[in-house]
Amino acid sequence: MAFTSFNFLVFVAIVVAAYYVTPIKGRWMTLLAASYAFYLISSPKTFIFVIFTTIITFLGGRYIGMQNDAQKAYLAEHKDELTRDDKKALKAEVQKRKRKMVALILIANFGVLAVLKYFKTYIEMAAAAFGGVEMDLGLLIPLGISFYTFQTAAYILDLYRGKISHDTNIAKFALFVSFFPQIVQGPIARHDQLAAQLYEGHKFSYENFTFGMQLILWGFFKKLIIADRVAILVNQVFDNYTDYAGGVVFVALLFYTIQIYTDFSGGIDIARGVAQMMGIQLSHNFMRPYFSDSLSEFWRRWHMSLSFWTRDYIFYSIALSKFFGKLGKNMRSVLGDRVGKLVPVIIAQYATFITIGLWHGAEFKYVAYGLYNGTVIILALLLEPYFKKAIEKLHINEKAKSWKVFQMVRTFFIVVFGRMFAKATSFGAALYMYGAILRPDMGGGFSETIMTLGLTNIDFAIILFGCIVCFVVSVIQERAGDNDCTTVRKKLAETALPIRWAILLLAFACVLVLGVYGPGYDAAAFIYRGF
Amino acid sequence: MKEQILEILTDIRGDIDFENETKLIDDNLLESLDIVAIVGEFNEEFDVEISVEDLLPENFNSVDAMVELITKAQE
Repeated sequence: MAFTSFNFLVFVAIVVAAYYVTPIKGRWMTLLAASYAFYLISSPKTFIFVIFTTIITFLGGRYIGMQNDAQKAYLAEHKDELTRDDKKALKAEVQKRKRKMVALILIANFGVLAVLKYFKTYIEMAAAAFGGVEMDLGLLIPLGISFYTFQTAAYILDLYRGKISHDTNIAKFALFVSFFPQIVQGPIARHDQLAAQLYEGHKFSYENFTFGMQLILWGFFKKLIIADRVAILVNQVFDNYTDYAGGVVFVALLFYTIQIYTDFSGGIDIARGVAQMMGIQLSHNFMRPYFSDSLSEFWRRWHMSLSFWTRDYIFYSIALSKFFGKLGKNMRSVLGDRVGKLVPVIIAQYATFITIGLWHGAEFKYVAYGLYNGTVIILALLLEPYFKKAIEKLHINEKAKSWKVFQMVRTFFIVVFGRMFAKATSFGAALYMYGAILRPDMGGGFSETIMTLGLTNIDFAIILFGCIVCFVVSVIQERAGDNDCTTVRKKLAETALPIRWAILLLAFACVLVLGVYGPGYDAAAFIYRGF
Repeated sequence: MKEQILEILTDIRGDIDFENETKLIDDNLLESLDIVAIVGEFNEEFDVEISVEDLLPENFNSVDAMVELITKAQE
């Protein structure tokens, strides 16, 4: 059931009504029933995998949580008798037991993910390459598997680190794993941020209800008016990349940058909007990423729930580990103080970005995408002192607005170029398309070709209109330093009723009239639904 | 100890007013690279073992919180 289908809207209407009709204490049960119904309608054959992850993570989490509690109780009880060494020994022993359980659960969950999402591709590719046979293992990729696997891994690791307490009710935990607005494409939630919100019933709030609906409408605006329209041109060029010269390839790449943002953030807006209608605040996944000054800032504002996940569980785990700490120390005598210190960070950064690359799929192009991003960030880090010197020598005022704008535009194009790896049909295709951009446009005819890619003049005008609206909204939020993304909705709430309704109806009409609807009035599938 | 910590912090990020900020993490003033550098310096300077488990926002939001973290780690 796609977010942009009519069925989904009916489903949401029924669920929200049922949520508020149920007594407050039982509202979480309505959400669980709705979430399982959503999954069974959308992906019935893979439901078993969600159940598997839910049960083993719950049981493993319970074991780890109980170890934490027992350790705490023992330490409190024997506070005065234990020496510092006794305490250390006890902690080490408990940690060893917990570590075994963490390994077991993570191997089981990531094992399922690896077989269903990654090895399937490799095995089928190998069969085709060596045996020359088309092989279909018949394995289906469970809906949202990457999202719920990462979310449950965070739960287990947070328990291991003693950051949270374990869940004691498996039915409630099942809801945390499967909450329907976010299981399809995130945001990947943390237990301490989401679980309590799901389990407690929320009273009806007019503000949450209307703000949630407005957010859904905004999501539809981005997805149906912009993303699905630019997709027509993007797919035409990327699927037939050998047919097009540099200028057209560059436009397709630029359009893809627009598409991926409006598609993914639109989907997240719909998810967050649906949750908000029931008083549940999902975490943010985008914070106007194209306004970033640097690539590392971009990754703190783009797909934030995945970035922060990799930061907390991969980057820090490596950069702060004893092993890599020692390695960094040893490297100082070889590489100098500054670079030596950075060795653990560099290794951690690459591991982080390879994970982000592989998140998207098993193909090498995704690894290349990760390596590209990691390398740019590491180079920026290594060259920082030289950049600083250059800025001083050139007398550049780092506080000037023009410098900020330059940094944003520079970062934007670094992001745009990296996207080629993720979108091109293969790594080879990406290199070919880079080549096309760099080669001079021999044949010419850019303006004629661009009109043969499936979009009319009106389509281009609508895309421009959509992008301007998006840009203005983003500028308003950015100027207000709005980390909650509610400035526009709050302003709207302050306007007189007729004006407010006129604006909302106009937006609704825009989506209805200007949205791209395919056969059967179903819009194109969300890109991140595939991950 | 506080003076020493302030020195380490300003060495790493000279642009932040560490004496008065109390939401270094919550307001995203410190980045992950800063945190790694800070923890590395703390471990070396104070002979403690601050690990990934200690990376809670409340341990790094202010200088006072960091003093407390190191004191605890030294116990």
